[in-house]
Amino acid sequence: MEERQLNEKDSLELIARMIQNTRQKMEKSHGVPFLVWGYTTIVISLLVWYFLSATGDYRVNYLWFLIPLIGAPLMFFFIQKHEKGVRTYIDRVIGYIWLVLGIAALVISVAAMFFWNFPILFVVILLMGSGTAITGLIVHFRPIIVAGFGGILLSLACLLVHGTNSILIFAGLFLLMMVVPGHILYAKGRR
Amino acid sequence: MFEPLDPLLHSELRLAVISILISVEEADFVYLREKTGATAGNLSVQINKLNEAGYIKVERGFIGKRTRTVCKISSKGIDAFEKYVEALKSYLDPRDRTD
Repeated sequence: MEERQLNEKDSLELIARMIQNTRQKMEKSHGVPFLVWGYTTIVISLLVWYFLSATGDYRVNYLWFLIPLIGAPLMFFFIQKHEKGVRTYIDRVIGYIWLVLGIAALVISVAAMFFWNFPILFVVILLMGSGTAITGLIVHFRPIIVAGFGGILLSLACLLVHGTNSILIFAGLFLLMMVVPGHILYAKGRR
Repeated sequence: MFEPLDPLLHSELRLAVISILISVEEADFVYLREKTGATAGNLSVQINKLNEAGYIKVERGFIGKRTRTVCKISSKGIDAFEKYVEALKSYLDPRDRTD
């Protein structure tokens, strides 16, 4: 495209074509946050479950804080790697939703660890399931919507199973709610 | 009467850049070049013209070791684009004409 004068019809056609061009297709980078946070949470959950089962030492629970410590740098790395050159309003909205939910999950985890004993795994799944469902609805992607609402419903399982094994339920739900739809989104974006 | 068309926007490449930036939050130079199909040199000149007119904001930064130029439309640019589209309508819709 070079600089040339347009007639009025050309101008309108050009505007319409460029706006159409920016309509976001599913890109594999959209699946990356689900995979990063999904896999990180599953690995840390299994570590906590293993050491808690083996030792019974409550201090093993401090390992949960490895999730943001590992997940945040990984996200930074993958965001740079999958830089797509454009940021849409939808990207910003989704980013803010997860920022708020992530901070809420962190605060509530600190509260559960140090101040108040309540079913934290249930609450975290409920929060993350809500974020997943909202993201799916915004990007109109059915597997993410189903995974999100599935996570919200199945979060109740964390209330029904007591003791250390509830951590396995928690890890399993992250697999269904984030890793599986993350891979579907990644594969769809790659095509 | 026909409304005058903003000469800064009434050129193919500058209008293409503004049309892209009106529909996204921000876009970098590589993305704009890919979507417009323009040469790097020409795109750079037109981006500078839009920047000097205050229609867009240009930020230069780094991703790792690579430089990255990011463009965003300004509120002045949004106003100019809206006026341009309104003016175009007066050319295309005879009911809007008073002459």
